[in-house]
Amino acid sequence: MPRNTDIMLTLALIFLLLPGNILAGPVVDQVGRTLVVPENPKRVIALAPSITEIIYDLGQEERLVGVTQYSTYPTEAESLPRVGSYVRLDLEKIVALKPDLCLATKDGNPKHTVEKIVNLGIPVYVINPRNLEQIMDAITRLGSLLHAEKAALELVSGMTKRIEHVKEQVKKGGRKPRVFFQIDAEPLFSAGTNTFIHELIELAGGINTTAGEVSYPRYSWEDIIVLQPEIVLISSMAGGLEPEYLLNSWKKWNLLSAVKNNRIFVVDAELFDRPTPRLIDGLEVIAEIIHPELFKENNIKTAE
Amino acid sequence: MNMSIGRKIILTTLLLSTALVLIGIIAIAAGSAGMHFREALAILAGPGEPDSATATILWQIRLPRVILAAFVGGTLALGGLVFQALLRNPLAEPYILGISGGSAIGAILAMLLGLSYFPGVTFFSFTGSLLVLAFVTTLAGTTMGNTMLSRDSLLLGGVMMNAFCAAVIMFLISMTRSFQVQHILYWLMGDLTTMQKGQLPILLLVLPCFVVIFILARPMNLLLLGRETAAAMGINVKKIVLLLLVITSLMVSVIVSLSGLIGFVGLVIPHIFRLLLGPDHRLLVPACLLGGASYLILCDLMARVLPSSGELPVGIITSMIGAPLFIVLLLRNRT
Repeated sequence: MPRNTDIMLTLALIFLLLPGNILAGPVVDQVGRTLVVPENPKRVIALAPSITEIIYDLGQEERLVGVTQYSTYPTEAESLPRVGSYVRLDLEKIVALKPDLCLATKDGNPKHTVEKIVNLGIPVYVINPRNLEQIMDAITRLGSLLHAEKAALELVSGMTKRIEHVKEQVKKGGRKPRVFFQIDAEPLFSAGTNTFIHELIELAGGINTTAGEVSYPRYSWEDIIVLQPEIVLISSMAGGLEPEYLLNSWKKWNLLSAVKNNRIFVVDAELFDRPTPRLIDGLEVIAEIIHPELFKENNIKTAE
Repeated sequence: MNMSIGRKIILTTLLLSTALVLIGIIAIAAGSAGMHFREALAILAGPGEPDSATATILWQIRLPRVILAAFVGGTLALGGLVFQALLRNPLAEPYILGISGGSAIGAILAMLLGLSYFPGVTFFSFTGSLLVLAFVTTLAGTTMGNTMLSRDSLLLGGVMMNAFCAAVIMFLISMTRSFQVQHILYWLMGDLTTMQKGQLPILLLVLPCFVVIFILARPMNLLLLGRETAAAMGINVKKIVLLLLVITSLMVSVIVSLSGLIGFVGLVIPHIFRLLLGPDHRLLVPACLLGGASYLILCDLMARVLPSSGELPVGIITSMIGAPLFIVLLLRNRT
């Protein structure tokens, strides 16, 4: 596309003219865009809470000059300047922080906002992790962008080991129980095939009862009774409601085996809704819930 | 005052243009990244150092935003004025005829299809508004049993179309995946943030509409006397009414596709100027254009500066100010 080349050329020109900014040459981000990034980015803005988390995991927080609202993990990130929320970014604040690199996610940041930042002459590297493997790929990419290759490698191999461990344990187990993961209440939403939650349930040795094309399908109680889940996992963020209330909304349906056997659990939403290494914590939590017989010896933090 | 209408027009235009420029400078000077009055004044003299962050904020973020707000505000106020003249009803607005609703359906469909803002969303939005317009005018024509466009059936048909459009919009939203919903909801609330700098030329489409409406200001005055009187004075009522309806729909749908639904500007601004300047449309057309522009720049400034973090959709501000203001105007008018 001629327009893209124009932008690229302008970008290249701007950076060549800026003193003290050595270019690393063109790189390709996770969505296939080519862009020029600084050789050693010193002023990075993370445009989504998940990216903030990964940068801290890589130990590169001294490069961070701005984060978005709800960047609450780790707690140190809360003291950094905010540039709006990831869906409603504050362009003025971004420019005022004079970033040399912005890190965005395809899923969270609106495309038109990303384009605007690029048009202002700020390089935006976009990651688009759709599954655990791609999260690890994103971590590796951010590691090489921020000169933290070693930390990235350690992080990724740690994640791989923990996933392998869960896989091995699950292999020993027998039957796979039917799991319903409730991500939102009133209206009730669950997770389809193309989600992290589906991947985690399957890895943890369960069957996702709501597998299907729609990423976040809506369910009625009638549908749920037809689905006959044996285990129910409820996100602690669901509907902004109290865990007690969420549990009680299920308990009246005595004919469900999950209710009969008291296998309804509220799990920490933060471990499931951000594409970060903490998803592995989430994996271990639900693996223990689904197959307590296999994971008993592990000292994993259990859900309430 | 015994001033000729020509001098009155020039004086009003000059005064309101000055106000518009002043308000524009204030809006460029203020924002979430802080106040920059000196730099904003320097903009009048030309661009300063092109590299500084402040220059980027003022030139590339705030200035396009202020220009967009000016066009949106002016167009909506003018649209309201035209509809109020055509329907001889001070409560008329593009919304009341269902035209905004029709263009909103078109725009949301285009967004769901993943089309670009221009020409995709704009075209769908214009098509939507024209379909609603065609339906409402046909309805008004047939129910009267003659070719004249009846005022009441236009209004009634419009109100019903609006209700229908609202239902279709809700349907589309309920069918949408979570990620897009947020974007569409903000757009429905009236939002100036989605504007890209490259989209500014689209705004030029509405300029010829302004000119045509100004030329038709005198026939609009005659329409206020009633259709029969206007026809007796040599006006082709049906032609003028249709032309004004189509032109207004065109400019409103261009604006709606860029900014979403921003309410009350088309109601409050014409009302204020009718109170101040009287019923002559040759004065009211430029006054509403410039006044509407200033008003929306101010509302957008509040939307950007008031919240401690992020910003509000400007439609919330215009409605929160517009509705109470309109009630005050109504009460004062009565006493």
